[in-house]
Amino acid sequence: MRIGIVCPYSFDVPGGVQNHVMDLAEALLAAGHEVSVLAPADEDAALPPYVVSAGRAVPLPYNGSVARIAFGPVSTARVRRWITRGEFDVLHVHEPLTPSLSMLAVLCARGPVVATFHTAMTRSRVLSAAQGVLQILLERITARIAVSALARKVQVEHMDGGAVEIPNGVAVAKFAGVAPLPGWPGECAPGTGGTLGFLGRFTEPRKGFPILRDAFVALAPDRPGLRLLVAGPGDPEDLYGRFPAELRDRITFLGMVSEADKPRMLRSVHLYVAPNTGGESFGMILTEALAAGTTVVASDLDAFRRVLDGGRAGRLFPTGDAAALRTALAELLDDADRRAELTACGDQVVANFDWPVVARRVLEVYAAAIEATDGRVMDQEWAGLG
Amino acid sequence: MPGMWWVVGAVLVVGLVAAYLIWTAGRVQRLQTRAESAARALDAHLLRRAAAAAVLAERRYGVELYAAARIALDAVPEEREAAENDLTRQLRAVELDPDDPACEAVIAASRRLALARQVHTDLVRDARAARGRPLVRLLRMGRGREWPRYFDIDDPTLSVPADVPTG
Repeated sequence: MRIGIVCPYSFDVPGGVQNHVMDLAEALLAAGHEVSVLAPADEDAALPPYVVSAGRAVPLPYNGSVARIAFGPVSTARVRRWITRGEFDVLHVHEPLTPSLSMLAVLCARGPVVATFHTAMTRSRVLSAAQGVLQILLERITARIAVSALARKVQVEHMDGGAVEIPNGVAVAKFAGVAPLPGWPGECAPGTGGTLGFLGRFTEPRKGFPILRDAFVALAPDRPGLRLLVAGPGDPEDLYGRFPAELRDRITFLGMVSEADKPRMLRSVHLYVAPNTGGESFGMILTEALAAGTTVVASDLDAFRRVLDGGRAGRLFPTGDAAALRTALAELLDDADRRAELTACGDQVVANFDWPVVARRVLEVYAAAIEATDGRVMDQEWAGLG
Repeated sequence: MPGMWWVVGAVLVVGLVAAYLIWTAGRVQRLQTRAESAARALDAHLLRRAAAAAVLAERRYGVELYAAARIALDAVPEEREAAENDLTRQLRAVELDPDDPACEAVIAASRRLALARQVHTDLVRDARAARGRPLVRLLRMGRGREWPRYFDIDDPTLSVPADVPTG
């Protein structure tokens, strides 16, 4: 099958959607399909061979954050050329409701179009001002995919349409069997030692770092050798300043870790802690920790409960409850058998999120979209009309 | 010459209105055609599932499932939704083993049917919305073609292990 995928965001900047697109493209290529990815990128950027650049991305403030996207007449021309040359059987766009390459591609193309919705964004301000435009966009999409139950709910309730829920995949092979960072995770015996991990922006309240901090501060005096490994953007002084002086040497801050180092970081801890207080629609990091074979302790959010199979594949604690988290951590650090039990179950769970499996489900959606339309993807003469 | 400007203005307005009407008519036709394709695909997947269920029933599960599959295959359009729902219930009631090829065929057919149903419902909704607009009704742009009908059945997905085999 010839598949054209459009990524709205530039590959120069790491991000969830970009990783999703790359992993999906690689899984489809591995399954023997022809894949071309259109994405904004700088002229001199090093890109994988299957990516076609649609020109430089411009930073634009959008929906409360800055998105690097490409939009305008030049981009439109490139999108149309790509569609014409590609002769795709199916066009797969990501996040088509942001003004981006994806939206342009939807407006320019005729034929089977599949759209994946990542965020649980209801609708942008720009689009709610133009209901007609939204309708024209949505009716060009043949089949919709939502990556989480929350994103699907938004589709059903706010956009008058159903969506197939296909979870985010995780490249299990990239995570399993990677060597931990030198010197980690160290000793862990009943009553002593053990390493906790946290990955993410510790300054962002909904990531719940203060809850982990409180639990760590409460547990550390009773448990000599307990260490905390933190990775993510932020200022080290700010992080260390949040802890009492006597505990600071038990905290290690890695700063931003690359995609390649993430599996190593996740394997360098005994327990990966996800104390988020909300705003998570899927919980990608949990599937990654499970793929790395690390035991997960997570707050009892809907999204996390789904990934952890209701607590079979990881320990859940009441959201926002630092005392309960402390208890859960102490119990699990003391009990190596229980940790092994949870990770064994995690292996089974994560097999359903493995990219080859997820890609096969996406291919079935492609087939459904192709059956519901006649012919392949074509450029049309009047972009936005017809 | 004010008179000439009136003429130019009128020609422009007529041109724009005509362009809009042509575009709208094209849009209605396109959505209608797509809904019809989706209905054909849905029909094919319903038949495929019923056939797979009949094969399975002959080999393993006997009369009730076989009867439900036959009724679904032979149902007249008015009774088809009920018959398909009945087949879904029968399939849910039996224990399906994903390692058995006949069971696997039924599971795969149900999954594909669920997708076809989803796509069909969305496309019918789009087509009906376009045809229901006042201007489209007034000018009878969809005339000569039947209104796309919803096909209202329960989600036919069978709850079995989430793995999807190749092919």
